[in-house]
Amino acid sequence: MREKVRQWWPYYAMMAPGLLFFFIWHYVPIWEAKMAFENVRIIPPNIWVGWKNFEVLFASPIFYQVLANTLIISGMKILFVFPVPIMVALLLNEVRSGKLRGAVQSAIYLPHFLSWVVIAGVFIALLSPTDGAVNQIQTAMGFEPVNYMTNTGTIRWVLVVSEIWRSAGWDSLLYLAAIFAIDPQLYEAAEMDGANRWQKIWHVTIPGIVPTIATLFILNMGMFLSADLNQVINMQNAVNASTIDIIDTYVYRMGLSTGEYALATAAGLFKAVIGMTLVLVSHFVSKRLTGKGVW
Amino acid sequence: MASQSRRTPLERVEYVLIVSTLLLLVVFTLQPLLNLLALSLSDPSKVAGFSGLSIFPDGFSPDVWMLLLQHPNVQRGIFNSVWMTATSVCIGVFGTALMAWGMSRPGLPGRRLIFILVLVTIVFEPGIIPDYFLMKRMGLLNTPWSVIMYKAVSAWYLIILIRFFEEIPKELLEAAELDGANPFQTFFMVVLPLAKPALATIALFYLVLHWNEFFRAMIYLNDQSKWPLQVVLRQFVIEGDKVAIVGANNVNNNLGLAQINIRALKAGMILITILPILAIYPLILKFFTKGTMSGALKG
Repeated sequence: MREKVRQWWPYYAMMAPGLLFFFIWHYVPIWEAKMAFENVRIIPPNIWVGWKNFEVLFASPIFYQVLANTLIISGMKILFVFPVPIMVALLLNEVRSGKLRGAVQSAIYLPHFLSWVVIAGVFIALLSPTDGAVNQIQTAMGFEPVNYMTNTGTIRWVLVVSEIWRSAGWDSLLYLAAIFAIDPQLYEAAEMDGANRWQKIWHVTIPGIVPTIATLFILNMGMFLSADLNQVINMQNAVNASTIDIIDTYVYRMGLSTGEYALATAAGLFKAVIGMTLVLVSHFVSKRLTGKGVW
Repeated sequence: MASQSRRTPLERVEYVLIVSTLLLLVVFTLQPLLNLLALSLSDPSKVAGFSGLSIFPDGFSPDVWMLLLQHPNVQRGIFNSVWMTATSVCIGVFGTALMAWGMSRPGLPGRRLIFILVLVTIVFEPGIIPDYFLMKRMGLLNTPWSVIMYKAVSAWYLIILIRFFEEIPKELLEAAELDGANPFQTFFMVVLPLAKPALATIALFYLVLHWNEFFRAMIYLNDQSKWPLQVVLRQFVIEGDKVAIVGANNVNNNLGLAQINIRALKAGMILITILPILAIYPLILKFFTKGTMSGALKG
């Protein structure tokens, strides 16, 4: 025992700052989250009320509106954002010149490294009804200009397109890595059999990246309730708020603006538990299907 | 990739289509940014009807950039962003390396338990309200530390470093031990120098993460003088708070900033916020791409 202590204490000493950080920044908040089961009072102590906050939450129509918005936006993203990087990777793989491919990649990766504040700023300018590029093209073609940012019918599509703008390039990297890992002999064999470009893509490339697609799809499903807070909070305005109000923005508003701490914590906890369950389930499904997990 | 000698006309058309689609993607990605750059550099007298499609400045004037860079709110924002990011990166790299080193030692008692406790934090986040109360209880509200200490050690980057440390050849560590080095000496004199590429990668990860952070700064820093650039940008461009940049005195009269087109000012502000990312972009490409590629291959 004493031998063990002498051998290992330096390592624990070195880990101490990190361990302390994880404890304070990640585990104390878990304890604080008990607030969801309390009646928060200005003068402590709070009173334990059990599931009452959750009952109030589930009885409020706003919560269902917010939940529905979250599900719709996440669903749209899975449907319209998820396939784009796969197509981009397939296209990039067909480019013969390494220089050209490299140049395209360096350009389309860039938005991944910009903050949502910047991206929202860029899109507000891009979609401006008077001098934004999109509306200029639209009016040149004889259509009426649309204020996409303040139109409840279009704002969700703004979320989808800006997500594509930000992530499609960078996310294609994962699929490209999977394509590069495919055995070149498979392509040679296909060519011997007289396969053309599309047949090779269909019969060699796509089957080769299916495990990667499956893993990333399942992971995305795991994040289903996390329709990006940072994105929405920067794209939201007084007019479009009702259509893109998601659980995260609801928690933020209820908790930090209205001061309904207990209700906001309950909503946050609801999201965290469902989210955790989905991630764990998707992890195990992915492991079962492809032999690959997330960790 | 295919044999390049015999290509049918159809294949050539296909190839042209593929390359054009990709170039269109490049235009879709870069045009909005180049347009804002051109707008911010245009002659102030010609900005009024500046097209959203153009990527070339109409006339040339550095006025917008000069005015913004001389503006006290922007200067403070740059100063705050730089020191907060720098501090975060130092704490992050050092803290992560120390913890990863311990966790990479195979025989460490409790190693598995610590690993699980770290993974739990990735999967389960209790949300912003408990976090807010934690900051309040620790007296960190309205201090930069509420922003800096967040993700001081990121679970993801920790796992990357653990994997890297695990691959350091045992012989090197044993040799150091035989020379009488204690674990601290081994860490600082053998492990850290060997890990330079991995540490540089992690440093860049933290750099981008912290430079782009705005949410915590927005909710925890009430004092405008403590705001990082992202929050200044948000206030001006997203919230449309002209006073934040133009200044209360200038809103109603024709002096200084008020003469400059507000659209051009916003464009310049966005670009100033991106500039550091652009400056290190070649490095980012090199490290992130390699890291992501090898990570994906290992699965």
